[in-house]
Amino acid sequence: MIALLTAPALVLIAVIFGWPMLRYVWLSFHADSVLTGLQPVANGGANWLRLLADDRFWIDAGQTARFALLSVGIELILALGMALLLNQSWRGRGAARAITLLPWALPTTMMALGWRWIFNTPYGPIEALVSSVGIEPLDLLSTPSITWLVTVFADVWKTTPFITLILLAGLQTIPEDLYNAFRLEGGSASQALRAITLPLLLPYILLSLLFRLAQAFGVFDLVQVLTGGGPAGTTESLALYAYLNGMRFLDFGYSATVMVAGFLLLTMLIVLGTVLLRGMGLLRAMER
Amino acid sequence: MNKPLRPIWIILLLAWSLLPMLWQLLSSFTSPEALVSDQATLLNRWSLANYRDLFATDPPFWRYLFNSTIVATLTTLITLTVAIPAAYGLSRMQERLRKTVRTFVVGAALFPYVLLFLALLELARTFQLGNSLLAIAIPYTALSLPLALLLLTSAFEALPSELEDAAKLEGLTLAQRLRWVMLPLIAPASASTAILVFLFAWNEYPIALTWLSRSDLLTLPVAMARIAGSSTYSVPYGTYAAATVLGAIPLLLLVLVFQRQIISGLTNGAIKG
Repeated sequence: MIALLTAPALVLIAVIFGWPMLRYVWLSFHADSVLTGLQPVANGGANWLRLLADDRFWIDAGQTARFALLSVGIELILALGMALLLNQSWRGRGAARAITLLPWALPTTMMALGWRWIFNTPYGPIEALVSSVGIEPLDLLSTPSITWLVTVFADVWKTTPFITLILLAGLQTIPEDLYNAFRLEGGSASQALRAITLPLLLPYILLSLLFRLAQAFGVFDLVQVLTGGGPAGTTESLALYAYLNGMRFLDFGYSATVMVAGFLLLTMLIVLGTVLLRGMGLLRAMER
Repeated sequence: MNKPLRPIWIILLLAWSLLPMLWQLLSSFTSPEALVSDQATLLNRWSLANYRDLFATDPPFWRYLFNSTIVATLTTLITLTVAIPAAYGLSRMQERLRKTVRTFVVGAALFPYVLLFLALLELARTFQLGNSLLAIAIPYTALSLPLALLLLTSAFEALPSELEDAAKLEGLTLAQRLRWVMLPLIAPASASTAILVFLFAWNEYPIALTWLSRSDLLTLPVAMARIAGSSTYSVPYGTYAAATVLGAIPLLLLVLVFQRQIISGLTNGAIKG
């Protein structure tokens, strides 16, 4: 009887999350494109051989990992500062918490276009500022070495509040007495941060790291609208590449292959990270 | 964060969060000519033209707001209807089974769902679910369920079991106990869940992009992206800024009004998840 209450939800999750992955694995061994009249035709491992030799896939994989690692790294540091500030008691703190949350609540596509306007050359405020002090235009959205950093910036702006909230929750579980005792022993505030706050916050840091890394690896909305993957493909993510293969080149077999491969790479990244953290002895906090 | 510097940090935090939005607000009330002219002064730049353009389009802008509201409301209602009994069932399962299910649900919550779009699009084609605001609530519900289950299950687990035993002794059936005893007690967790699900459905992009193509059925995120996709050089930034402002208002109100529920929802998820 009890199991019957849970079954519909679990079946729905299994169908919507599980079926696509099975379908992709199957499709990845089939040609399914305009050439086959959009009908799946078994082609052995051709998609996978093509993927191994596909420079664009590997470049995108590197770019996606670079984007995810840098974004999440910056977000963690910023969020830690914000959470510490929002955890202290001062007047207006409640309102400040709500305001901090706002960027996270807005649709990504909406702010992505907002950023296109703000980083616009020559009319955006950044370029206006730069030219007013006599520097050459930066061409923020059309310079391969810079534009990917703009996408990192936009992601940091939007998702830092999310990590801030999780870390804030962690901070609230640390009893004030610990700090008082530490102060009585003659410890300074920065020593307390290292001796008490960071170790006790570690499970929350790792949790947000894991969740955000997985989400950032699937970045799609932001790059599709902000840069379209450009300039010269330097901001194209794996999800965008899979999307283009499916929706623009109408090559469903290869699109599915890219998605399976992307999922495998993400899993490897997470396993690798876990092993690294365990090697550093950092996971003990999670395994209490 | 030592005390004398605190006001500076607070100002930086607020500026970081608000300045980009304030710039959009300013741009939205600036005439299209002034936006691309360096001669614009503080006095001659103001105009309502961007807002006028926004409502002169076909379909008018409010249509997207309306569509997003429909989809998000529907998704929230269905998700809660499915997730509350499921979470109750989960919290009453035997330890071993519960742990297995939990791992499965956490895995789904972590999964970058954008990878699902192609197969979901195939489903939509097979079962003719495209271009329907009702149908798109099905994948949205499934995508919201992992988080909803995690939040609601921990709320049920926090209730004392004596309470339910007492209700059982009184002769209440399972449905009655759920409705009259448990539901009122998990109302705060349900409210948090509802808001997080609503925000997800309101903001979702890749599935909406592939499932909806009729221009009068687009949700806000897709409509916004379509404006961007029209052309790299001729994006009507003034109109767009006005769209951002109008599109953001419902969300700003939601966050300001339900701040507490959002924070407690996310933080409870973090503590118990």
